Amino acid sequence: MNQAEKGEGGNREEWMNKLTDMRFQRADMNRLIMDYLVTEGFKEAAEKFKMESGTQPCAPLENLDERIKIRAAVQRGDIEEAIALTNKLNPEILDCKPHLYFHLQQQRLIELIRDKDIESAVDFAQNQLAEQGNESPEFLEELERTMALLAFDNPEDSPFGELLCPSQRQKVASELNAAILEAEHREASPKLSNLLKLLLWAQTELDTKKAKFPKMVDVASGTFDGSR
Amino acid sequence: MAAGSSSTSSSSNSDTSQQVDRIALLYPKVDESETTLPRSWSPKDKFTFIGLSQNNLRVHYKGVGKTHKDAASVRATHAIPAACGIYYFEVRIVSKGRDGYMGIGLSAQGVNMNRLPGWEKNSYGYHGDDGHSFCSSGTGKPYGPTFTTGDVIGCGVNLIDNACFYTKNGVNLGIAFTDLPSNLYPTVGLQTPGEIVDANFGQQPFVYDIEEVMKEVHARTRHTIQTFPFTDKEGLWQTTLQKIVSTYLVHHGYCATAEAFAKSTGQSITEELASIKNRQRIQKLVLAGRIGEAIETTQTLYPGLLERNPNLLFLLKCRQFVEMVSGCDSDVRPAAHSPRSSPNVSPSHSYSATSVGSVGSSSSSATNGFVTNGTCIDNGFEADSMPMEVEEFEESSNHGVLNGTAKMDESDHSPSREARQTCCHNRTVLEKILTFGRELQNMSVQLRREHGKNETNKKALQATFSLLAYTDPWSSPVGYILDPVQREPICSSLNSAILDSHHLPRKPPLDLVLGQAQECLKLMSKIGLGACAFASVEEYM
Repeated sequence: MNQAEKGEGGNREEWMNKLTDMRFQRADMNRLIMDYLVTEGFKEAAEKFKMESGTQPCAPLENLDERIKIRAAVQRGDIEEAIALTNKLNPEILDCKPHLYFHLQQQRLIELIRDKDIESAVDFAQNQLAEQGNESPEFLEELERTMALLAFDNPEDSPFGELLCPSQRQKVASELNAAILEAEHREASPKLSNLLKLLLWAQTELDTKKAKFPKMVDVASGTFDGSR
Repeated sequence: MAAGSSSTSSSSNSDTSQQVDRIALLYPKVDESETTLPRSWSPKDKFTFIGLSQNNLRVHYKGVGKTHKDAASVRATHAIPAACGIYYFEVRIVSKGRDGYMGIGLSAQGVNMNRLPGWEKNSYGYHGDDGHSFCSSGTGKPYGPTFTTGDVIGCGVNLIDNACFYTKNGVNLGIAFTDLPSNLYPTVGLQTPGEIVDANFGQQPFVYDIEEVMKEVHARTRHTIQTFPFTDKEGLWQTTLQKIVSTYLVHHGYCATAEAFAKSTGQSITEELASIKNRQRIQKLVLAGRIGEAIETTQTLYPGLLERNPNLLFLLKCRQFVEMVSGCDSDVRPAAHSPRSSPNVSPSHSYSATSVGSVGSSSSSATNGFVTNGTCIDNGFEADSMPMEVEEFEESSNHGVLNGTAKMDESDHSPSREARQTCCHNRTVLEKILTFGRELQNMSVQLRREHGKNETNKKALQATFSLLAYTDPWSSPVGYILDPVQREPICSSLNSAILDSHHLPRKPPLDLVLGQAQECLKLMSKIGLGACAFASVEEYM
């Protein structure tokens, strides 16, 4: 603890005390959480949260159903179903978003590899993905990364293992969810996401002026630099 | 020129006194206790050839005006605060005088005033006679049209890009200067006899629509923030958001939600469910105003915790006192003492919508104005349920609501006026309250003796006691303490203390993120980053 360290933000301890003393109204925070759950399509959690906190959802939860089915399909790895449902909802969504469509196709390939269905995986890659891969260098690189999984006995432990993590499915699910919201002319990103970005932006702005202040280095855990 | 000061003086300034502070409204993010906004020209910071009139808003030339050595300028009283984001003032040319050598612009403190703005280092000006812009130099560059009697010239400063633009009669002339230093003052300079100009720092509507520019910059800032790159890995961003949501839910004890959320995201919850539920139980009691029971439950579940935090216990007791006055605490609700004999007693569950109707309408069965009603649904929250009966508690969470939603509270939590007043008029209740008050007083004395003076405790006690001075505490000046929203701080403190005792963070990361964002924006304002004018935590909530 270096108490002497004084920057524009004042004494580090004072700064931290201000943070601990700051109070936000629970109802406002709860609305923020509800907005996140609804926008990201966590219907069950949103329902439970409505009951536990009394927070009203910003949109009727029933309207979530289609988006949720689609998200759930991606999350359990049923990409074909997700694509079919999306096309039923609005065929233009995938048509005008080649990146998204590629990511879905890539996820399909990942799922085949996860199931150790090597033959189908190779077949799918050659017949469906290779052509798309030629469309852009980025696609090609992604395709190569994915196919590289086949080279390992335990692909989970390979350098490309992160493709098999649940977060990979989450990522694609969020991308698709955002595209659907966008097609409905709704705010695609939850307020919570923008608030986090507000913080990261403000810290970066302060850095450009070389301001000295306790910096939050990990927003997920609320960890500050030099804190031990 | 001197005539100007007496003849036409009445029109523009006579009505400013009764107007709202339009200048402050233009720059809502400026904290005038730190940085004052310019509102007039400075009678102290000018060359002798400058005369001021009309509340120091009108400037006239009173020198000989033979050569450029007779030029004279005046600065505004204060520098432009960076937190303005976009700053703007207008100057109307009342008379071009003999030659119309007038300069409008900006200069830093200390720049020679025996010059027109723009000629010296750290000074910038747009001149009427040739329409040139002067950027810290005796030689100008072609910039805009000339200006003369009757024209309104505006000077705008973008404190984000550190650039300056001008307007003439409401038309934007484009960027004149870039890379401006900070802390510049609005400045005008005149050089020949008869020249008179009036300044408008925002006390009057501007000719040019500056608010449109502000909106545009605001939108641009918003876009920058929303598209701010976090990391190249989108998956990691999603995980980050999920962690923040999950820790918030767990922290505040929304366990059914936390479970459902964890199931959908595949994330694990770090704290034991039973422990979350215990905390949820205690928080619910506090938020329902049942402080006495909350204290008991805490003592059962976390023995020694309150003893180790005597100030917390004291504040809890203060709140209990408040709730006794408002009739929410179980000690003044006789039903709560015998929960077994009347299992359908409404546990004064403030947040359950079904109890709303029963509060006001049950006067027949109410003893001291509070509810003992059989129609209320049983939400599983009887006082006799054992603290560790987690299963039962889980059921209750389907009905019980853990929140501070102010809107809902109002309707279900302020009993009708007749009901309210009976509370302190009922003698047994009043005696009970007073006895409790004396205990509280003793406790305060003891705390002071053992731990020294404590302002928070003193204030809490004073505010609490003053409630008794009013026949209708709800409409008293201290009535706000009765607002159920006021239970939230003590609820958080208790929750934090419990978490602390388990070596868990006192605050969820979400609180820290919001607090940090707020502090960073304040610091931006302090160190002169104009972008802070167009972003706030409230805006993004």
